Amino acid sequence: MSRVVRLLVSAGAIAAATGLAYALRPAAPDVSLVVLYVLPVMGVAIAFGVPYAVGAAVASVLVFNFLFLPPLYSFTIRDSENWVALGVFLGTGIVVSELAARAKRRAVTAEQRQREARLLAEISTYLLEGRSLGEQLGWIAKRTAEILDVREAEIVLGAAGEPKAHRAPHPLVAGSTQIGTLYTDEHSEPNLDVRRRFLPALASLLTVASERERLSREALEAETLRRSDTVKTAILRAVSHDLRSPLTAIATATGTLRNEQLTLSEADRRELLETIDIETRRLTRLVSNLLDMSRLEAGAAPPEPELWTVDDLIWQAIGDVDGRSRIEFTPVEAPPVRVDAAQIERVISNLLENALKFSSPNAPVQVRVTTTRAEVIVRVVDHGPGLPAAELERVFDPFYRHGSDGSGAGLGLAIARGFAEANGARLWAESRPGQGATFGLALPAVRAPVEVAA
Amino acid sequence: MSGQRVLVVDDEPQILRGLTTMLRGAGYDVVTAANGADALAKAAANPPEAVILDLVLPDARGTDVARELRSWTEAPIILLSAVEEEREKVAALDAGADDYVTKPFGVDELLARLRAALRRVAQPAEPVIEIADLRIDVANRDVRLDGERLKLTPHEFDLLRVLAQNQGKLLTHRTLLREVWGPAYQVEAHYLHVYVSHLRRKIEPDPQSPRYLLTEPGAGYRLVDPTNI
Repeated sequence: MSRVVRLLVSAGAIAAATGLAYALRPAAPDVSLVVLYVLPVMGVAIAFGVPYAVGAAVASVLVFNFLFLPPLYSFTIRDSENWVALGVFLGTGIVVSELAARAKRRAVTAEQRQREARLLAEISTYLLEGRSLGEQLGWIAKRTAEILDVREAEIVLGAAGEPKAHRAPHPLVAGSTQIGTLYTDEHSEPNLDVRRRFLPALASLLTVASERERLSREALEAETLRRSDTVKTAILRAVSHDLRSPLTAIATATGTLRNEQLTLSEADRRELLETIDIETRRLTRLVSNLLDMSRLEAGAAPPEPELWTVDDLIWQAIGDVDGRSRIEFTPVEAPPVRVDAAQIERVISNLLENALKFSSPNAPVQVRVTTTRAEVIVRVVDHGPGLPAAELERVFDPFYRHGSDGSGAGLGLAIARGFAEANGARLWAESRPGQGATFGLALPAVRAPVEVAA
Repeated sequence: MSGQRVLVVDDEPQILRGLTTMLRGAGYDVVTAANGADALAKAAANPPEAVILDLVLPDARGTDVARELRSWTEAPIILLSAVEEEREKVAALDAGADDYVTKPFGVDELLARLRAALRRVAQPAEPVIEIADLRIDVANRDVRLDGERLKLTPHEFDLLRVLAQNQGKLLTHRTLLREVWGPAYQVEAHYLHVYVSHLRRKIEPDPQSPRYLLTEPGAGYRLVDPTNI
């Protein structure tokens, strides 16, 4: 509001009081009517502050003297009691305006503090919502700008407040530690009182929030560690048998080959070399299984999905397997899937190896592909002994072994399940004992009109 | 050539194959079995002179197979065990197995253990046992080291006698306690450790690094000829 407007409003208020004084003139002694001017003086004090109110009081005295006190229409005063009345009025006017202005200032401050308290409560609720602190800072800075009455504000966490171009830095300090810096645009000066009150409180909230974030991060790390400990225990258990057996076979074979006191035929030597070969491959497979398993358990194998046809994945998987001549597969038309090819190939080849292992040496293993509205389903069907109902789920447990077959660490199906789930696919077993087992892998089909490179 | 018959029991086909070739190469006749039932059947059909037995079999505990065999044959039994199967190994030794090697084992080690075990069975009980510089006159309870007479308490003498009569063989804590203190005597193993330590002070040139009386950690003790290892 410009000064001219304020002066005009003040003058209007004095004029209104004058009008009222004229109206009340028949009812009261003239000199007492000066009291009416307390109202405009108080109003001006509340609206525009003490300096305007003092001006209004002085103006009121002059106007009243001019219009109501004899000699009329002159600024001189004849009766001495009128001097006293005007003096008392002027003093009262000034004191009242000071009191009124102070009351108003208090009201304004109280309202501002209430707004600040409300905002702090809002911010603390917002901080508890569980999003990361980094994401929440933008909103908090915007609200802080409103309460500080500045155009723009930005919050940067960290102890060191780096200077920024065209930005005024205000450190956010809780206790004796700087949690971050609030940058405001350099043209608008934030209210000093508000800044002093609000920023430390905001800094405390941010400190608590960042502490909470650090703790939950640590809890997550501890949980990850605990899980990887469980995996380590399982791995150690596996090592006890599954690594030692091949090592023992290899050590026996090499020890025998190198021992010059033993009598060995050419056929013996060939057999021992074959043993070393077989067991070395078994060790290699076991080690890569253990690695995959621990990576899966630790969540360290994020899939890299791309668009593939199921046929490609199956052919690739068949190529990875020993005994591929026993696998029967006829490709069919099916929608593409969006998966990590290496991981899903691994799933399928593990299913194939499992099926081959539990079938008699000449029995075929069939791969069938069907399509539903939402999924492409790959089934690996064997004609082995099958699985009892109680084991249909347990076969996917790490280190679980069906029957007393000594080979394999019981990791293949667990890894298959892990990779399948990581790719949003389902993997399950179905079987009727004596009729072989079927493993189903359901991959989400990509039905949207996607261009597939021919 | 017809050597001594060795029964090899292990469920890992490649280990079985390697052991068979190794033992045949060393001049033994080899019979193999992949599980406990098969092992007992083959042992009964063709009694072996020695048995190499995997401690963990798909259908049975090696301990039970060892006990079953020991009930009718004196043929030495050598266990194939793993580090973490300590408890089971001691149980099998208590049940009558003679010795063990830990997987993966050296070929020479296994062949040496097998030879020693077969030799022990061939040895008749002797009134005087000589091991390097140690001379034990069992009948007269007289022990000499380098010709010098040693003063042993009765328990120390019995302990040395039992170990010497089973020279080279691993004797479990329980076996030693039973042989020296008697089956009714429930002595704790740490008594045994104390007696062994006393005995070592008398017979070992350097008790800190024993050469005669060796400790098999967690299993038992063995008296060996330091000049013939």
